[in-house]
Amino acid sequence: MMKPVLLMLAFASALTGFASLSLAMDRHHEDCHGRGNTPGRVKRRGLQAGGTLALLVSLWAAIGVDGPAQGWVLWLGALTASALVTVLVLSYVPRVLVRMLAAAGGLSVLIALVAAISG
Amino acid sequence: MKEGFRQSMAWLHTWSGLLVGWILFLVFAGGTSAYFRDEISLWMKPELHGAAAATSTDAVAATALAQRHLQDKAATSPRWTIQLPSAREPGIRLSWSGPPAPAPREGERPRRARFESATLDPATGEALAKPRQTRGGDFFYRLHFDLHYMSAIWGRWIVGFCAMFMLVAIVSGIVTHKRIFADFFTFRPKKGQRSWLDAHNATAVLALPYHLMITYTGLVTLMFMYMPWGQEAVYKDDRKTYIAEVFPSSTAFGNQPAAGMAAPLLPLPDLLRQANAAWRGAEASRIVVHHPGDAAAKVTFYRHEGDSLSSNQASITFDGVSGQLLGRGGEDIAPASETRGVLYGLHLGRFAHPLVRWLFFVSGLAGCVMVATGLLLWAVKERQKYAKALAKGGRIGFGLRLVDGLNVGAVAGLPLAMAWFFWANRLVPVDMPERPATEIAWFFWAWGLAAVAGLAWPARRMWQAQLAIGGALFALLPLINPLTGGAGLPTTLTSGNWRIAGFDLVVLLLGAALLAAAWWVGKRKSAKARTTAPIARATPVGELGTSP
Repeated sequence: MMKPVLLMLAFASALTGFASLSLAMDRHHEDCHGRGNTPGRVKRRGLQAGGTLALLVSLWAAIGVDGPAQGWVLWLGALTASALVTVLVLSYVPRVLVRMLAAAGGLSVLIALVAAISG
Repeated sequence: MKEGFRQSMAWLHTWSGLLVGWILFLVFAGGTSAYFRDEISLWMKPELHGAAAATSTDAVAATALAQRHLQDKAATSPRWTIQLPSAREPGIRLSWSGPPAPAPREGERPRRARFESATLDPATGEALAKPRQTRGGDFFYRLHFDLHYMSAIWGRWIVGFCAMFMLVAIVSGIVTHKRIFADFFTFRPKKGQRSWLDAHNATAVLALPYHLMITYTGLVTLMFMYMPWGQEAVYKDDRKTYIAEVFPSSTAFGNQPAAGMAAPLLPLPDLLRQANAAWRGAEASRIVVHHPGDAAAKVTFYRHEGDSLSSNQASITFDGVSGQLLGRGGEDIAPASETRGVLYGLHLGRFAHPLVRWLFFVSGLAGCVMVATGLLLWAVKERQKYAKALAKGGRIGFGLRLVDGLNVGAVAGLPLAMAWFFWANRLVPVDMPERPATEIAWFFWAWGLAAVAGLAWPARRMWQAQLAIGGALFALLPLINPLTGGAGLPTTLTSGNWRIAGFDLVVLLLGAALLAAAWWVGKRKSAKARTTAPIARATPVGELGTSP
C-alpha cells in the first residue's frame, strides 16, 4: 500500500487509541458526557480493548512505513503527538472528543478495509 | 517504608531537577532548534533564498558541475569536499583547503591551511553570490553541548554533568509520580499549583520515550570524553588504531602524502555510478577528493544518511587515477560500535524523514515546557511557605528570590535572546568584520540584560514584559525577512519554498504562543488583584459580604 496512506493510518489509529482509552476512564467520560455519567462495565471493557487494538494497528502501520527499526521511532512519536492532542481536547473542548474519536476511528477502519481488499 | 522511599525520590527529583534546570532549559531549547539547523542557516543567508527554490537534485549531473568548478578554481588544493544536493540543501556545496601553509618557524604557532567554499546552483552550475557571514543554525547546535565563552571541553563537562542529573531527575520523577496512568490524560487549567503540576506531568509522561532517549543518547554521544578509561586501557596511546576501529566511517586514506607527480583525475560521475552500484543503488551524499590532479589521488564517497538509523556512514574509496577500488568502510561494523552508532544517530535525528523530525521537534518543545514548568513549580510551592509572612507585609527568602530571578532570565529571557539573534542576523551590516561573533554578542547582550533585569526585579510585570518582547520579536521576523533581502511568506508559499516558509511560520507560531503567555500572565494578575484586594486591606472577615 502507498506509504502516505499507511502514515495516515499510523496517526489516525494512534489518536483513536488514546481517545478511546481516555473515554474508558470515569473522569474523562464525565468530561465528555456530563457529571456522573460514567461508562458501564461492558462499555469500559470495549473502549479499553478497542483502544489497545488501535494502538497496535498504529504500530503495525508505522513499521509498514519505516521498517522495523525506524518504525518504532515513528510510532513513539505518533503516540506522543496524539496523546498531546487528546489531552488538549479533553482540557479545552471535551465535547469534541467523541466526534474526534468517531472521525479518527472511521478513517482507520476505512483505510484498514481498503488495505484488506486491495491486499 | 514504601512511602519513605517515594519521599526520598521526590526529594531527589526536586533537587536534581532544580539545580541544573536553567542549563537544561538552554540545552533543550538549543537542541530542539538544532533539528532544523540547516533550515535556520538557510534563513539566515537571505542571499541564497532565491536559489533555494531550485529542485534539481540529480547527483550525477551535480558531480560533473562540481568537478568542473573545482578543477577551474582549486586545481592546486590538497583536498576537495563536495556536498551533493538534497531535499534539505538544494545547492551543491563545495569546500577546499588552500595550498598547505609553510611549516611554522621556531616559536610560531602552526598555521592552518585556509578554507575556501562556494555554493553552486544545481541547475546552471554557476557559483551563487557569497552569502553573509553567519554561524546560522550551527550556533544553537554548538551552544547546546559546547556552551559559549569557555573551552568546548569545559562546556561539554558541564552539559554532561547536567544531563546526568537530568537522567536522575527523569527516573526519580517516574518513581515519584503516583498516578502515572490515572492522570495520563489529565490537565486541569486555571487551578494554580495543580495546573503547573499537571502541565509538568503531561509534557514529561506523554513524551517520556523521547526524554529518556534524548538524555541517554546525549550522554552516549560524548561517552569517550566522559569515560576514556576503557579506550586508554585497550589502545594506550595508539590513537590512530582506536579512531579507525571505533569510528569505522573514517578512512585512513586521507593521511597519505601526495606523489608529487601530476596525473589527470578521472571523471567523478563515473566513479559515483560505481559507488552507487556497490551499494546496490543507495545514494551518496558527500565526496572527498584527496590530492586531486596528483598521481596519488583518492576519491571517497560517503553514503546518504537517510537509509539507516545508525550514524555510522558507509564509505567507499577509489584510486582517483586508475579507478581501482581501494576499500570500503562502515558496512561490517562490530555490534558495540553499531550500537553506539544507532544511539548517536537517534540523538541527532538526521536519519529521519521530515515528519519524524517534526515529531522530534514537538517532543523537544514538550521537553522545554517540562523543564520550565518544573522550575516554576518549585517557585510556586516555595512561595506558599511565605504566604503568611507575605500577607503581613513580610519578604520572601533569598533562595526563592534567586530562583524567581533565574526563572525569568532562563524561561522568558532565552526565547527573547534567540529571537534577537535572528534580528541581529538582519541588522548587523553585511560587510562588518567579525560578523558572526557580532551576531553572537548581540544574542548574549540581550540574554544578559534579560537575566540581570529578571534578577533585579523578578515580578509578574517582568515576566509579562519579557514574554511580550520575545513574542513580538519572533512574530515580526516574517515581516523583516522580506524587508532585509530574504524571500517573504507570500513568495515562498506560492512558489512552494517550504524550507523558508516553514521557518517563518514556526517563528510566527512561537511568537503567538509567547504573546499569549504574556497576555495570560497579565490576566492572572488582574484576576488575582480583584479576589485578594479585600483581604490585603485586612478587612475583618465578617464585613467581607456586606462591604460595598
